[in-house]
Amino acid sequence: MIQITKKLTGKKYWRSLDQYYQTTEFQDWLNKEFPTQAQEMIDEPSRRNVLKLMAASFALGGLTACRRPVEHILPYSRGVENLIHGKPLFYNTVMSLGGSATGLTARTYEGRPTKIEGNPDHPASLGATRGYHQASVLSLYDPGRMPNVRGDGKDSDWNGFTSYVQTLSGSLGNGAGLRFLSEPMNSPSFTAVKKHALTRFPAAKWVEYSPIHTTATAQPVAPRIAFDKAAVVVALDSDFLGLDDTTVVAVKEFVRGGRKVTDENPLMNRLYAVEPQFSVTGAAADHRFRMKSSEIAGFAGALLSAVQSQELKVVGQGNSSADKALSAIAKDLAANRGKSVVVAGPRQSGAVHQIVHQINQALGNVGPVVTYLKPASDQTRPQLDALKELAGEMANGQVNTLVITAWNPAFNAPADLEFEANLKKVANVIYLAQDLDETAMASKWAIPAAHYLESWGDAVAFDGTASIQQPTIQPLHGGKTAAELVAFVSGYKDLKAYDIVRNHWLPVVGGEKAWKKALHDGVIRPAAAVAGSAAPVFDTATPAPPTGGYEVIFVPSWSVFDGRFVNNAWLQETPDPMTKLTWDNAALVSQATARKLAVAMGDVIAIERNGRKVEGAVMIQPGLADDTIVIPVGYGRTKVGQVGEGAGFNAYKIRTSDTFGYGGGFNVSKTGRVYPLARTQEFEYQEEPKLVGFQEDVVRPIVREGTIEEFKKNPHFATEMVEHPPLKSLYGDYDYSKGQQWAMAIDLNACVGCNACMVACVAENNIGVVGKEQVARGREMHWIRMDRYYTGPVDEPQVVTAPIPCMQCETAPCENVCPVAATVHSPEGLNDMVYNRCVGTRYCSNNCPYKVRRFNFLNWHINEAEVTKMVYNPEVTVRMRGVMEKCTYCVQRIQNAKIDAKVEGRRWLKDGEVTPACAQACPSDAIVFGNVNDLESRVAKMKVSPRNYGMLAELNTKPRTTYLAKLRNPNPELQPVTAAEEHHG
Amino acid sequence: MALIFPKSTDKYVKIGAAVLGLLAAGGGALAMLVGYPKVIMTGYQPVQPVPYSHKLHAGDLGMDCYYCHYTVDKSSHAAVPPTEVCMNCHTRVKANSPRLEKVRGSYETGKPIEWVRVHRVPDYVFFNHQSHVKAGVSCISCHGRVDQMIEVKQVEPLNMGMCLDCHRNPAPHIRPADQVTNLAWKPDRDPAEIGREIIQARGINPPEYCSGCHR
Repeated sequence: MIQITKKLTGKKYWRSLDQYYQTTEFQDWLNKEFPTQAQEMIDEPSRRNVLKLMAASFALGGLTACRRPVEHILPYSRGVENLIHGKPLFYNTVMSLGGSATGLTARTYEGRPTKIEGNPDHPASLGATRGYHQASVLSLYDPGRMPNVRGDGKDSDWNGFTSYVQTLSGSLGNGAGLRFLSEPMNSPSFTAVKKHALTRFPAAKWVEYSPIHTTATAQPVAPRIAFDKAAVVVALDSDFLGLDDTTVVAVKEFVRGGRKVTDENPLMNRLYAVEPQFSVTGAAADHRFRMKSSEIAGFAGALLSAVQSQELKVVGQGNSSADKALSAIAKDLAANRGKSVVVAGPRQSGAVHQIVHQINQALGNVGPVVTYLKPASDQTRPQLDALKELAGEMANGQVNTLVITAWNPAFNAPADLEFEANLKKVANVIYLAQDLDETAMASKWAIPAAHYLESWGDAVAFDGTASIQQPTIQPLHGGKTAAELVAFVSGYKDLKAYDIVRNHWLPVVGGEKAWKKALHDGVIRPAAAVAGSAAPVFDTATPAPPTGGYEVIFVPSWSVFDGRFVNNAWLQETPDPMTKLTWDNAALVSQATARKLAVAMGDVIAIERNGRKVEGAVMIQPGLADDTIVIPVGYGRTKVGQVGEGAGFNAYKIRTSDTFGYGGGFNVSKTGRVYPLARTQEFEYQEEPKLVGFQEDVVRPIVREGTIEEFKKNPHFATEMVEHPPLKSLYGDYDYSKGQQWAMAIDLNACVGCNACMVACVAENNIGVVGKEQVARGREMHWIRMDRYYTGPVDEPQVVTAPIPCMQCETAPCENVCPVAATVHSPEGLNDMVYNRCVGTRYCSNNCPYKVRRFNFLNWHINEAEVTKMVYNPEVTVRMRGVMEKCTYCVQRIQNAKIDAKVEGRRWLKDGEVTPACAQACPSDAIVFGNVNDLESRVAKMKVSPRNYGMLAELNTKPRTTYLAKLRNPNPELQPVTAAEEHHG
Repeated sequence: MALIFPKSTDKYVKIGAAVLGLLAAGGGALAMLVGYPKVIMTGYQPVQPVPYSHKLHAGDLGMDCYYCHYTVDKSSHAAVPPTEVCMNCHTRVKANSPRLEKVRGSYETGKPIEWVRVHRVPDYVFFNHQSHVKAGVSCISCHGRVDQMIEVKQVEPLNMGMCLDCHRNPAPHIRPADQVTNLAWKPDRDPAEIGREIIQARGINPPEYCSGCHR
C-alpha cells in the first residue's frame, strides 16, 4: 500500500449540525444505504393475503398472457395546422409573478403544454427560468383547481353569474361603493380595461396588492441595478440573487459581471452581505455578516457617513463583526467609485432605501450602475396604505361591491386588517379564484381563474419590453382572465381575453403581420420608454417597524412563493436551498437563540404579538442573527387541495401592516409539542470517504474552494488538493477518443443554488413525487440534487452550493455490480439505465460513491389524477415500482437532436444543439453540457481550465461531470477565517 | 429384513421418473414455443371498424404510403390519417357507400374513428419512424407486404431480437430513398450490396446501445 503523507489543504465542510457534532443519528444515517426501514412495506401483508393474491394473479396472468389487450388509435377527424404527431410545438408566452414578467417558451405535445423554458429574447429571462416558472405547468393540471363558477356557496355556471351581474350593474351607479383589488399591474391591456372601468364608474377605486415584492420604498420609480457593472456589491438584507425578484436578471448579470473567472482574466467582483436570514445571496457572498433587521438602518447610516467623510473614519455602531468590518467595506466602496453598488432588500423601510440611495449617489454609482425606472404599475401610493384604506371602508360598510383579481387576500393580507372578517361585510364580493381557497369561501361569487398557459394576456418587463401571453391549451375549467372579469363586470359583455389583448396591441404594433411577429418572437420591440426620475422620492413617512424582544422576518418561500404554489407537488418536494426543508416551513432560529429558548429541532413554539399567535416548528439554521426568527410565508393554508394539506403553519397570522417585512416585540414560548420536519440533506448520505494513509480526521474534499489570490498564485490549487496513488483499473480502458462524447462541467463559482435545475429536471424527466413521509425516509427521487455545505464557525459559516447529477463515470462502479446488466455504458460515454431490465437489487446504488441513483420504492405515480398525467413528457418512460433510475443527461434530447442532424445529413451535432433541462434552466449558466471531443465546444474549454476537478476522481471513476472549483474574493483587509478558528474547536 | 416393496418397484420408479422428466421437458418446450415472440406476436389481425383494404388502396390503386401516413418521414410516429384525408377522395369516390358510413360520420361529427392498433412495441421502446425511413429502411422490413393485405396483420415479431438483428447488420434492409415505400421493389443485384453502398455513402450507423431506444 502506498502511504501518502501530504496533508490535505482546503477547508473542512459540514452539512448539518448533527454532522458538526457527530451525533449518533448522523452516524446511523451515514452507515445505511437508503436509511431507516428501507425494507418495510406500506401495508404489512399477511401470508394468507399474499397466497390469495398470488393465486389470483397466476390465474389471471395465465388467461390474459395469451391475448394482447386491444389498443385503439384515435386520429383527428380534421387535421390540425402545423401539428405533426409526435413532434413538439413551441409557443412564446409570458408569466407574471409578484409583479415581474418573465418571457417563456412553452413546449406542447398534441396540444398539451409539458415543459417551460426561458425565452432567450426576453430581457427578464435571457433563456433562463426560476423553479416557479418550471413548476407552473404542473399548476395548470392541478386537480384542485377551481372547477366551476360558484355563487352563494353553491355550484353555479357562467349564465348564473351573467344574470347576477345584470341585476348588479343597475345598482352600481357611479361606482361609489365599487372597489377593485388586483395584483400589481404590469399588463398594458388590463390597464386599458382598468381605465375603461374607472371611466364608467368614476367614483370607484382600484387597489393593487401583493404580499411579496412590495418594497413600498421608491415611488414612483423602481431601482434598476446593473450588477454586471459593479465590482463591489454590498447587500443589506437583500436577497437579490434569490427571492427579491422572481426574474433571473440579477443572477445573470451578477454572474456575468464577475463570477465567470477565466484563466486569462482572473478578475472577480466582491459581494458583501449583511443580513439577518441566511439567503442564497449570503451564500454567494465573499464576506457575510449576520445582523438583526432592525440594526441594518444603523449600519447603513454608518456606511453613509463613512463614505461621505474624507478619511473614511468610522464610528462603529456596535460590536458585531460587520461593524468591525465597516471601514474596510467603506474603503472598498470608495476605491470603486462609479462601479460599486449598495443595495437594500424589500423588507427594509423607505428610510433605509433613502440612505442606500445617498450612499450610491456619494459614490457616483447612480447613473453608471443604479438607474431608476418607471414601474409598470401607475399606483403611486404605498400599497399598504391603499389596502388599509380599503379594509377600513369595508369595515365601515362603504363598500358595496368588491371585485378581487388579486390572489387570496383573505389569506395573505396583513392580519391587523382583518380582511376575511371585513369581506363578510361587503354585500357583493366577486373573486377570481385559482382554487377554492380562503377568499373564495368568503366571497359571494367565485369565478375560476384561467392559468397563464390557457389564456390571452400580456405583460411588461422591467425595461418596458412587452410580451403577449399566448395560450397553449383551451381553458381546462372554463376559466376567465382578470381583464375579462373586470371588463364583464364593468359592462363590456362580450369581450373575450383575445379581443382585449389584440384590440390593444394591433394599433400599437401596426398591423396583422407585426402582431404575428410579436406572438412568434415573444417580445414586442421597441420597448416603451421607462426612464424614471434620477432623484427618486422615498416613502419615509411610514414609521420603521417596532423593535425589541424577538424579531420575526417574513420571507417568501422557495417552494410556495406567497402561498399560491402550496398545491404544487414539484415545488413542495424541492428542498429549500439553505434549510433543505421539504413540504413545510419552519421558524428558523440561530443556535444561540435555540439555546436561549431551550428548544431543539422540531420543537413547536408559539410566536405571539398583540394577541396574534401562531404555532410552528423550530429549525436551527446556522448563520442567522440571534434573537431573530425567520419564517417563510404562504404555508398553513386552511382551504387547499390534496397536495398542500397540512403543510406548515401560517405566518400571515402574525404579520401585521407595521411588521410587514420584519418586526420586533414578539414573544416566544415553548408548547412542548414536537412536529416532524422532512429535510433532505441534514442526513444526506454521501459520506466523505476517509483517505487511505491519512490521519484519521482527514476527509476527501467533495467541493473544492479557494480564494482568487490563491488561484492567481497557483491555478492548479483545486487538483492539488488531493494526492492519490496511480489509478489503475481492473478492466481494460475503452477508447473514448472517437465520436461524440457527452460531458458536463459545472462552475461552482457561478452556481447560486437556486434549485431551478432541480425543478426543470423533474419536469423534463417525469420524476415522481414521494411526499413528506417518504422524504423523511430518504427516498426522494431528484436526479439532480443541490448540495449545500457549510464551512467555518457554526455561528458564522460560509456556504458552498453544488448541483450533483449523475457523474456518468467512464469506469462506473454501478455497472460492475449489476447482476442483470441493467446499467451499462454507451459508446458515447453515457451510463445508460435500462428500466425494463432492472430487477431492483439496488447494488448499483450501494456502489455509487456519489449517491445519485434513485430507487422507486413504491409506484409514485399510482395516485396521480388523470388531468395531472397530461404533464408527462412523452419522450421519457414513466418508471414503475421496483426499478432504479438516475440522471441520463437528458438522453431523449440527445437522441432527438441526433436524429434531426442525421436527417439533415450531419453526423456531428453543433455545440449547444443539445442542452439538458438543468443547463437550460440555469440562471447563472453554471451548468454547461456538450461534446468533449469537439475541442471548440464550451464544455471542452471548461474541462481544460486549471480549476477543473473531478469529484472523488481519486476513486478512479473518471467522471464525465466535472466541477470548476469555487472561488472567493475576500477583502485582504478583513482577516479571513483561519484554519485554527474553524470547525470542531 | 423383509422387503416392504417388491423388487419390481424399482422399475416402476425409474419409468415414472423418466415419464415425469419427459413431461417436464415437453412442457418446457411447449412453453418456449408458445411464449416465443414469433409465435405470440405474429399473426395478430384484429377487425377494424371500417373495412379498409390496404391491398386495394396501396396495392391495386398504387397509392403511395406517404399519402396517408404523411408524418412517417417527419416524426417518430407514423400518423394514422385524419378522417379528412379519407374524405379527400371519398366525397367523390364511393360517396354513398354504406361501408364508409363511419368515415362520413366521423367527418361530420368530428369524432375520431377508433382504429385498432396492430403493430405495437412496449412503452419503454422509443421507436422512431423518421430516422428509419430517412435511412432507407423500407416499410416492408417491419410491416411486411401491406400492399397485399386486405386487412392488416402483424407478420414480424417486432421483438428486441429482430431490432438488433437489423441494427447489427443493416445492409440487407437499406434501400435507395425513393424505393422505401415501393414494397414490390426487386433490385437487379444483391440488395445487401446496394445497402452497403448507401451505408458507406451516408454514414449510417445504427445504435446498438441501450439508450438508443430506451430512455
